Amino acid sequence: MLQYDFMQHAFEAGTIVAVMCGVIGVFVIARHLSFIAHTFSHIGFSGASFAVLVGWNPIGGLLLFSTLSAFAIGGFGVKIFRREVTISVVLSFFLGLGLLFISLSAKKATAMYALLFGSVVGISLQNVLDIVYLSAGVIAVLLFFYKPLKFDSFDPAGAQAARLPVRLLSIGFLVLLAIAVSEAILIVGALLVFTLMTAPAAAARHLTHSVGRMVLISVLFGVLGVWGGLALSYYTNAPVSFFITSLEAVFYFGALGWDWLRDRRKPQEERTTEGSAA
Amino acid sequence: MSVTAPAAALNRTTEGGPGSLPAALEVQAVSVHLGGKTVLSDISFEVKPGEFLGILGPNGAGKTTLFRVLLQLIKPQQGQVRMNGGRTLGKAVIGYVPQSRQIDPELPMRARDFVCLGLPHPLRPWLNRADKEAVRRALELTDASHLADQSIGRLSGGERQRIFLAQALVRDPKILLLDEPTSNLDPGAQEAMAEVVHSICRTRGISVLLISHDVNLINRYADRILYLTPGQYAIGTVEEIMQASVLRKLYGSAVDVIRLDGKLFVTTSSQPDSKVCFH
Repeated sequence: MLQYDFMQHAFEAGTIVAVMCGVIGVFVIARHLSFIAHTFSHIGFSGASFAVLVGWNPIGGLLLFSTLSAFAIGGFGVKIFRREVTISVVLSFFLGLGLLFISLSAKKATAMYALLFGSVVGISLQNVLDIVYLSAGVIAVLLFFYKPLKFDSFDPAGAQAARLPVRLLSIGFLVLLAIAVSEAILIVGALLVFTLMTAPAAAARHLTHSVGRMVLISVLFGVLGVWGGLALSYYTNAPVSFFITSLEAVFYFGALGWDWLRDRRKPQEERTTEGSAA
Repeated sequence: MSVTAPAAALNRTTEGGPGSLPAALEVQAVSVHLGGKTVLSDISFEVKPGEFLGILGPNGAGKTTLFRVLLQLIKPQQGQVRMNGGRTLGKAVIGYVPQSRQIDPELPMRARDFVCLGLPHPLRPWLNRADKEAVRRALELTDASHLADQSIGRLSGGERQRIFLAQALVRDPKILLLDEPTSNLDPGAQEAMAEVVHSICRTRGISVLLISHDVNLINRYADRILYLTPGQYAIGTVEEIMQASVLRKLYGSAVDVIRLDGKLFVTTSSQPDSKVCFH
């Protein structure tokens, strides 16, 4: 299947986005930002629809809308936007706005479908290059600030006590998240961003006691999901996004089951640790 | 405003003991107003290197605000804070263990890695030999070496508190700020925690400021106490401060101190709804 250009492009773009989402997902989960990521995807959708309407590259619209909202959310404070009521209002407003832009443009149906459910197989070489540069940039920044981000994400009270610049970290992370979500939309679509953003990291959390290993396992699950999805879709003609979401679900529930089994297998040891703790 | 504790005894504690060394911490006439309310008014005190200062007082008296001033998270409207004889060292000079800390039981981190988060270098993610040694020592000091490889989410309250303390100690601070480290602990764990803090204070010469509501715990370990009430404060030894006359001035209402079996109890005969902190 790799003799076709479109499959090569899909694999290249899908792999780098999966790696990026695997890394950033670990922090998304730790910072309880899953639903903010989902909100970004809807805001990004309206941005992309706007781009379609005025004839830009959709990536431009995606990035513009989602990074602007990242600064807005960071400025007002993440706490307000983590409330489910705020999220439901913002999310549906932007989905509606996207609907408006799309309905005003000429090529409604295909564009809408691609933005909501992903169009990795139809990706152009220029888009692949854009995605590779952006993802590599996001991954590089995440790795450079790995230590303070880890501290602030997993132990926010401690990070503040150690006088890390927590506000700067929070806004910076939201901007990275906005960029990452924009790219994930191009692969799996706005409605399915969760599947790359949170599922691999959520699965990885059940398999290890170290943040570093959690990042590696999360990347692995993300990449396996995308590769498997592309291959299965190529041979069956069913949508890529369907297979990616299914595989990620399998990984997540598999990890949950594994964790549960492991806890049951050594109840003796558990009991003694808890006994000494009490 | 300061309530004058018996001056002779106060001088004895400042001149004797750790003595002629420069103060580890000097708070000079600090006032803080937050949201139109005066939280701290004109507070001055000194802490010597290796001194254990207990901080008591009712909720809302500004104990945590005082810590935030020391950490330079809040800039006081008046007054100043000097550390280490006026030499400003890096951020590592203060170790702070905040009061409330949510730990996800599924947090994928071992206690040792959690302590590593506190290492002072800002960006380098890997550990060198000095880091590993600092982490080992911090765990040893807090009597937590045996917990190093356990998952932080599975530890008990007292064990977690020791890991939090180790995380603050790994920066090798000169001053340690502890905000109610013994609340939510059972009496045995409270005693163990206070014992650990006391021994760190003595063996490492780290100045400790500890907020607590337990006057008897503080009585056993602290060199002096700072008693804060809204708008008032007093500093001195436990005997000097835990007197009905001093507390009456601090609270502005009738307060009695009862001594029973070497333990202190604070009560009030009138106004059951007044904001007296009963110890």
